[in-house]
Amino acid sequence: MEISLVLNGKPITVEAPAHITLLELLREYLELTGTKEGCDIGECGACAVIMDGMLVNSCLVLAPQAHGSTITTIEGLCNADGSLSDLQENFITYGAVQCGICIPGMIVAAEALLAKHPTPTREEIRQALIGNLCRCTGYQQIVDAIEATAYARRHLAESVARA
Amino acid sequence: MSRFTYARAHSVEEAVALLSDPNEKSVPLAGGTDLLVNIRKAPPTFTRVVDVRRVPEMRIIEVREAQLVIGAAVSYTELAESALVQRYATCLAQAARTVGGPAIANMGTLGGNIASAAPWADALPPLICLDAHAHLRSVEGARSLPVAELVLAPNQTRLRANELITHFTLPLPAPDVQSVFLKVGHRIAQTLSRANLAAAIGRDATGRIATARLVVGTIVPVAQRFEEVESLLIGQHPSPQLFVEAAARAAEGLVRRVGRHWATEYDTRVLKALVVRALRATTAPSPTPEGV
Amino acid sequence: MHTHSLRYVGKPARRVDAADKVSGRGKYIADYTLPGMLHARCLRSTVPHGRIVRLDVTPALQVPGVRAVITSADFCDHGNYGFPVKDKYMLAYQKVRYVGEAIAAVAADTPEAALAGVRAIICEIEPLPAIFDPRQALDPNAPQVGPDRTDGKHPNLLAEHQYVKKGDAEAALANCDVIVEAHFEVGHQEHAYIEPEGVLAVPTPEGGIVVYAPNQSPFINQGNLAMVLGLPTNRVRVIQPYVGGSFGGKDDIVYESSAQCAKLALITGRPVRMLFSREESMVASYKRNTLSMDVRIGATRDGQLRACVFRGLMDSGAYASETPFTVWRASIHAMGCYRYDACDVDIYGVYTNNGYTGAFRGFGNPEVCFAIEQAIDEMAEKLGMDPIDFRLKNCLRLGDETVHGQKLSESVGLVECLTLARQLSDWDRKRAEYARQTSTEVRRGIGVAAMYHGMSLGAEGADYAAATITILPDNTVEITSGLTDYGTGSRTVFTLIAAEELGIEPSRVRMLRPDTNTALESGPTVASRSTVLGGNAMRIAARNLRQTLDLAAAHLLNCDPRQLIRHNGSYIGPSEEEVPWEKVVEHAREMGLILSAHGRWEAPKIHWDHHAGRGTPYMAYHFGVQIAEVEVDLLTGLTRVLKIWAVHDVGKVIFPEGAYGQLYGGIAQGLGYALTEQVTYANGYLQQTNFDTYLIPTAMDVPEIEARLIEASYSEGPYGAKNIAEPAMVPTAPAIANAIAHATGRRIRRLPMNLERVLLGEALQRPTTPEVTTRALFMGRA
Repeated sequence: MEISLVLNGKPITVEAPAHITLLELLREYLELTGTKEGCDIGECGACAVIMDGMLVNSCLVLAPQAHGSTITTIEGLCNADGSLSDLQENFITYGAVQCGICIPGMIVAAEALLAKHPTPTREEIRQALIGNLCRCTGYQQIVDAIEATAYARRHLAESVARA
Repeated sequence: MSRFTYARAHSVEEAVALLSDPNEKSVPLAGGTDLLVNIRKAPPTFTRVVDVRRVPEMRIIEVREAQLVIGAAVSYTELAESALVQRYATCLAQAARTVGGPAIANMGTLGGNIASAAPWADALPPLICLDAHAHLRSVEGARSLPVAELVLAPNQTRLRANELITHFTLPLPAPDVQSVFLKVGHRIAQTLSRANLAAAIGRDATGRIATARLVVGTIVPVAQRFEEVESLLIGQHPSPQLFVEAAARAAEGLVRRVGRHWATEYDTRVLKALVVRALRATTAPSPTPEGV
Repeated sequence: MHTHSLRYVGKPARRVDAADKVSGRGKYIADYTLPGMLHARCLRSTVPHGRIVRLDVTPALQVPGVRAVITSADFCDHGNYGFPVKDKYMLAYQKVRYVGEAIAAVAADTPEAALAGVRAIICEIEPLPAIFDPRQALDPNAPQVGPDRTDGKHPNLLAEHQYVKKGDAEAALANCDVIVEAHFEVGHQEHAYIEPEGVLAVPTPEGGIVVYAPNQSPFINQGNLAMVLGLPTNRVRVIQPYVGGSFGGKDDIVYESSAQCAKLALITGRPVRMLFSREESMVASYKRNTLSMDVRIGATRDGQLRACVFRGLMDSGAYASETPFTVWRASIHAMGCYRYDACDVDIYGVYTNNGYTGAFRGFGNPEVCFAIEQAIDEMAEKLGMDPIDFRLKNCLRLGDETVHGQKLSESVGLVECLTLARQLSDWDRKRAEYARQTSTEVRRGIGVAAMYHGMSLGAEGADYAAATITILPDNTVEITSGLTDYGTGSRTVFTLIAAEELGIEPSRVRMLRPDTNTALESGPTVASRSTVLGGNAMRIAARNLRQTLDLAAAHLLNCDPRQLIRHNGSYIGPSEEEVPWEKVVEHAREMGLILSAHGRWEAPKIHWDHHAGRGTPYMAYHFGVQIAEVEVDLLTGLTRVLKIWAVHDVGKVIFPEGAYGQLYGGIAQGLGYALTEQVTYANGYLQQTNFDTYLIPTAMDVPEIEARLIEASYSEGPYGAKNIAEPAMVPTAPAIANAIAHATGRRIRRLPMNLERVLLGEALQRPTTPEVTTRALFMGRA
């Protein structure tokens, strides 16, 4: 069937079977391999994307459910010119990246969190990441990176507001 | 082969018509958090999914005629964040916050949790505790039944093949009623319940317990009220002594219901803990209702 | 020799591959697709022990889309491989010995067709009596799982017993005033890397094979492939893509998948990719071994530890894998980081029909540390001493001789670790305060564990590594190492070392992907050896290249090389003329000098007398201490870890963000090992097949961690460095166990310390089914 959606800001239509997951649609039909498969049952969050403004596990979304939706993947979270966002840069600066397989899902989850709660505490950041499993980092530097990004964005917003 | 087709419903009428189409074996699809896991385990027996997640009537949360009405396609996130649910169905809002991380909570639905009827379903004890009714629709018409009667056995409900849960209703609790949901799992976060419990306690002007609901889940085959504990509480002043007695009666009640088996020693002890804590929480000096 | 402060080593640095990873551009094995690629899937055993009486793959070949099917007959010598015990097969030969063992492999146009092909294979297995309890594996009439032996010992004995012996431990114990005697058991642990296994094999025009595999050690894979495929090594190339975590787990199982895909690719002439579902990964892949331990330690009333007797039994499961080495490392570390007058350690492993076990971070040390650090705590308690005071009195210090007979002449930071951890955690106040708690519902506790961890391979084998460094025509620098980075950060470590030695910005240095075509064989990437072995090799390579550049600069500046000064990459001569690096490079080219170099480093020789149980097992030791503060719910058994303090002696920090990251991550893995990670084999059937039932810690399970890295410099390590990767997870579980004991008064001697063990003191036997496991083997796209 035809599935139309707005993907990383661009309207697209793709022909795909009804029974596949959004994860499979992204990785195999649209060749966007930044979103990862870790467990296929929605426990690890490596497949997380933002659908209609909400964090979802794309392995648990049937591809046709995304028809008419707006989807953002990790590829859409880089800047338009391909450079890294402030959050991505902070992930590097704070040492939040080791093997990297969980990182696309983490960054997507972090952006979803900051869109909803721009100034989370460390505890709130952790709570927001419980659906994103990491086996390498122990989460500490990931929380550091997100906290620093939130702080910098708020600081920037405040100076813009004052200007 | 796992092939099936997809249809999206835009109204309840359309949904039940699709579910009754004799040319297909159709099942409702809401959040997908259960269905997509299940089709990995065994080839699907259905030929079509009917997506009801966006049916407007199934997305509502409102008060109507002294009832709280919650659509079956309301997500856990919406339940947790709703001021109405926090105020009038506190234990349900609490349960919604414990089901898992944001990605699961954003897609998983109340109707899906009940229809899947897993033994550890977290929304079931609160709905039973709050005397909720499930409203079902099919091409044959509408019916409703108490949620307490909806689930027959683990993963088995009274839902007919072409039937859809459209919404739940529950009476607005009296102002003196406090409810709570407690859960124990093997991990601090995003974990299936090892034991869960919902309780609602109402007090009269003298402070005595006037109404009591205590619903135990996971360690029984189907979440259910422990009426014998409820009747012990009625008319009594809350006290640590009363809570211990209630806990003991709950433990006896558990053994009476499920017999003694491999988990009894743990289950009885954790049930006692949950009962005591639930009673403490629901008889604490009443805070301002959340969200108001 | 100039002493100068370091510019890049030890300073904040950017992980060199992080940009690829945060952008989603980095390619892991599942991200590779090639035109014409086939999809492979294995038929795996659904019984724990059996003889294959009929294996007919022809029905599979009739399934639409299936292109080839292979069995053990398609490999040289039936695909027999394995080191140190050559007991395994790339596909099962004659027998299956665990549920999940691969029997045949199918290549097809789609994953669905491959699975249909697997289902069509006729495989009749005559079940054989099976053994699941390691304690019965050496009974005279136990079913044979291990290979035949020629030395008369029981075939189910895994390789050899491993010993450490000093003096007469029994006699010494008899003279002790206080004895602690306890039995401990640790269960399996699943690596649970977030990326499941996968392999892509591409046949080459000259009849060779290129294999993309997320293994830790590409050269071992290459050697195995050459052997089982009957190809010369120069026609077998193994390339490691980005790896989504390994922790020891992506070796053997990935070598098998590599061989299976390679053979299918050679037969079909097409690329072949195999990807595991999480369920297949969990059932088929090896785990950390179990260990059943009996510990007796004795002390005199003055608080001096005198003797230790340690007995251990390890379940190796169906095959040996690396477990013979795990037995050895466990034996070396069993008694803990302390001085003893006498010691008697004897650990051995056995074969069973449980899933086979192999390398997992820590490699025997987390297992024994769980036991010995609790026994040490119990001894402190019996003596009426504070646990840290007791450790300070008995722990290894600079100049001490270990129980093995090794003099520690340098790099022993243990006392500093204990002292600093004590201070950071406010230990003394909390020990006193929590001892006075009266709550019967929720109680807090604080516990400590200390450890040491021998560096690199020790007596396991030849210990060397090699690196290359080349200046490319565009004046960027290209480096290779035979050791690989599967998330550990070694790529960044090697880059920083190369940059430091050449005196140029790390951003000018690029490391090639691990590739048997371009790297130099350096032994396996295991045992936390990369920084020292690979780092030293890189340092030597870079110095060799720098010598060439120094000569060119000296020639250009008309001076002696010793008169050269470096400034921001440039060279400055005695005339104070500053010449940019690129100009020196150009000049070197003009002089006809070759702008590349190799470096090879061999570890100091160690000596281990296996029969005497004495020697110098490792060149040096990592030391570390962790303190855990917990809150235990006495009514539900739930343990919350409130905070962890970790102080580790790593010799020298080279890549700070990476070192701390490894430490935090190791602690998280140790925390899961301690509290939530349950592996249950029920008559050989694994009950936990995905992350809904195998619980690894979430961001709410792991607390804030306060860590410090101490630098007790090791003279043979690059800039004094030792390691961090495995030691990071060794003391976590015993620190938590000791904290739980402090909180509850109950000591838990088994892992994991789950709800039931904490509440009841023992685990419950839940109902189990084989279907959970067998269903997992056929899951996925269908």
